Amino acid sequence: MVAERTAFLNQMVEVFTSTVSFGERLNNMVHLLARNLKVDLALYFALDKAKETLFLNISSQGPVPPHLRVEFPLGQGIVGETAATRKIKVVHRDHRPAPQTNALLEKLHPAYHTLACFPVADDNFLYGVMLLMDREDRSITPTERQSVQLVSLMLAGTLRQAILQDEAKKRIAELSVLFEVGKALASTVELEELLERIVSTTAKVITARGASLQIADAVSGEVRVSSRYGRVPSGGPFPPPDFPVSGGPAGPAYFEAEAMDSQGRTHYCLAVPLIFKGQLRGALGVYDKLAPDDGHLPFDPENRQLLYTMAGLIVSAIENALTYQQVEELAEKNQRMVKNLTVLQEISQALLTTVQADKLLSIILQGLTLEQGLGFDRAMVMLVDEATQTLKGAKAARRTPLPPDLPLPRALLLPLAQEVPVADWEVPLQADEGPLVVAALQKRPYLNQPGLDSDLPRALRGRYTASEFFMVPLVVKDRTTGLILVDNQDSGRSLDPEPLDSLQMFATEAALVLENAQLYSTIEANNRELLLIRERMLESDRLAALSSLASGMAHEIRNPLVSIGGFARRIAKLVDEKSPLRGYVEVIQEEVTRLEKLLREILDFTGENLSYYGDHDLGKIIEDTLILVQRDLDAFKIKVVKDFSPLPRLHCDDRQMKQVFYNLFQNAIQAMHQGGVLTIRTYTMNKEDGVYAAAAISDTGGGIPLEVLHNIFNPFFSTKDYGTGLGLAIAQRIVSRHYGQIEVNNEMGKGVTFIVSLPVAKYCLVKEEGQGAAPAAVLKATKGG
Amino acid sequence: MKKILVADDEMSIRLLYSEELKEEGYEVYLASNGREALEVVDKIPLDLVILDIKMPEMDGIEALRQIKERRPDLPVLLSTAYGEYRQDFATWASDEYLVKSSDLEDLKSAVKRYLQD
Repeated sequence: MVAERTAFLNQMVEVFTSTVSFGERLNNMVHLLARNLKVDLALYFALDKAKETLFLNISSQGPVPPHLRVEFPLGQGIVGETAATRKIKVVHRDHRPAPQTNALLEKLHPAYHTLACFPVADDNFLYGVMLLMDREDRSITPTERQSVQLVSLMLAGTLRQAILQDEAKKRIAELSVLFEVGKALASTVELEELLERIVSTTAKVITARGASLQIADAVSGEVRVSSRYGRVPSGGPFPPPDFPVSGGPAGPAYFEAEAMDSQGRTHYCLAVPLIFKGQLRGALGVYDKLAPDDGHLPFDPENRQLLYTMAGLIVSAIENALTYQQVEELAEKNQRMVKNLTVLQEISQALLTTVQADKLLSIILQGLTLEQGLGFDRAMVMLVDEATQTLKGAKAARRTPLPPDLPLPRALLLPLAQEVPVADWEVPLQADEGPLVVAALQKRPYLNQPGLDSDLPRALRGRYTASEFFMVPLVVKDRTTGLILVDNQDSGRSLDPEPLDSLQMFATEAALVLENAQLYSTIEANNRELLLIRERMLESDRLAALSSLASGMAHEIRNPLVSIGGFARRIAKLVDEKSPLRGYVEVIQEEVTRLEKLLREILDFTGENLSYYGDHDLGKIIEDTLILVQRDLDAFKIKVVKDFSPLPRLHCDDRQMKQVFYNLFQNAIQAMHQGGVLTIRTYTMNKEDGVYAAAAISDTGGGIPLEVLHNIFNPFFSTKDYGTGLGLAIAQRIVSRHYGQIEVNNEMGKGVTFIVSLPVAKYCLVKEEGQGAAPAAVLKATKGG
Repeated sequence: MKKILVADDEMSIRLLYSEELKEEGYEVYLASNGREALEVVDKIPLDLVILDIKMPEMDGIEALRQIKERRPDLPVLLSTAYGEYRQDFATWASDEYLVKSSDLEDLKSAVKRYLQD
């Protein structure tokens, strides 16, 4: 008996430790138990995963045919009760009426009398139930009971091993899938490619017909990225956009649905949420698990678990990719910014090459429009006219077509090839001129609303058309000095934000250089004026020195000349007319006369003569002077044309004025020895400092050669073989003494016009009676003066 | 015969004037400065004086003043190389202001005008 038992235990341990498959081992154990206890049947009922039902799994009589696969709900029948109570149960058919629930067992052993049921469990887990059936009405001895309990434990151990091995296998399989996914995710950082790989790997791993992934922006809710692989059924269910992020108390959220298409096929969908730091959210979904018979299967919890795991991996991979993309975008943006800054710096450099407003405007427009520069199609500069408080078009241009490889610093200095005429653009600087002007006044940039023509000031409507334009004000010291307008109207491109940013940076500098140019030109004008004044002062100094020298010399020369000339005349009277001496003496006389005339002119010029100021009529002065030259005019057949306007009376020295016109007439006559027309026009003209009476004397003598033009007012300059060269110098001296001006209008090939202008009001404050302050006695003796 | 005084520091001018005036039939006295001129005026009953302005010791303007004090009726002609003395009020006392010229016709006609009667 003991030996028998030992043999049974030996056999049992042999089976337990054998290397055959778990199923074989379990079969062997059940079979061995039945043989050892000498019962008709030993049956193992396994508890299903849901722990609700026990079904016949192993029979000591070999494989269980499908029609004998009986099952018991937990707690029902002897099998269900044993499993629920985990207590051994022995039932005899004749002693008590068998419960109805045990009737199923008759299918297995119609003639059974004894049922003995043992739980198969280890210390914490119930795997199933071992049922012994026998036709005899027999009892179970304690030894037998021990044997069954031992076998049950061994069964439990084997089952646990099997479950563990199964789980380990699954884990390994899952891990290898995840490894594949991880490999795919790590293989690229390009977001689009990554998403494609995610969905394709997900579909393959789960053996789904299709997979999709979509990520929506957390703020706007718009789908930012989405990717699909395989066949995502159009008629099937699809995870909704308002996919729940967090699940209920039952566990993490997921979406599972099925739907029938028009062909009557069922489609399945399983999706899990993708959560990115609560910022972005989306869903990873799979569709239609492929069944071996080409049908579709529903997804099981393991698939869901795998999908969750993959979602976690995907989220971090996408986060990486997004970060990478952001970094790359940032780097790209940086690069563009560096390029734009370089452009701005090169424009700045070019702007340093000049202080002339026009050149600066040209460089600015080149910088704004060139492909190598900021690349706008068109650019316009308008500047504020402080006096009229209007914006005036300064300069505008389209892009100058240049080879793109021409370096920007050189291209900037090239002339504009396609200027746009804006000189007549004039916009009042008032708030009611629309948002563009308002923005300029408020010193802020302005991007128009496309298609809204009322954005433009009234004066520009119809003259300037751009569906999209951008204005940036030119501001210096908190004052709007103008504006820059850019658009891409020619190409129809939209305005990119980056060149606009650069333009705003650039506007500050453009405003400054243009302001500087303005200041510089003012300084330059002042400087020119100073130079002119200095020149005049120098000239007057020079003339003063010349005057005193000339005056001193003239007087010293006059006495000897009088003696020489006087005695020559005396000699001439004494010499016989036929004597050769007579000619010699006449030469002396003539030469002395010429010298005396020169002396008079010099002394006139140096201011020896007195002034005789009074109120005179310029027309009368001119008429009187014309009488003096009438003989010459007739001799050279010069026609006189007079065009006199009534003029206010002038306060002047009439004798000196006659001298002025006499000299000018002489000049004209000299130029018209072949005949011609002397035109004299008088008129009033308004200058900045008051009203002037003017006389224009024009000849038709062909003009003054350019090379001598700048010299004509210089003392002692003469192109003539005779004369002192003082004529025009004296005229200018006299006129400037009267606070007037002489201008020359030279038309080469035609003639010269001298315009004498004299102030009428300003210097007439002191009125003098008659001809001036000098007494009549003095006036009588002016002939020799 | 009318008596004319010619006062001029330039010897050549004195000679020229005296020759020309003598030829016209006048009696000519000469002086080389204002002081000498006054001496002649005091001694001789002159009919006319021709005075240079710029002279040493006493100039013509001072001489003119003193001559007109002593003999207001005596015509005095100023004959000078300078035009600008016209601005000097002191010269206004003269009867004529003549700028010297080698052509003595102006001078002679002026003399004739004053000595006609």
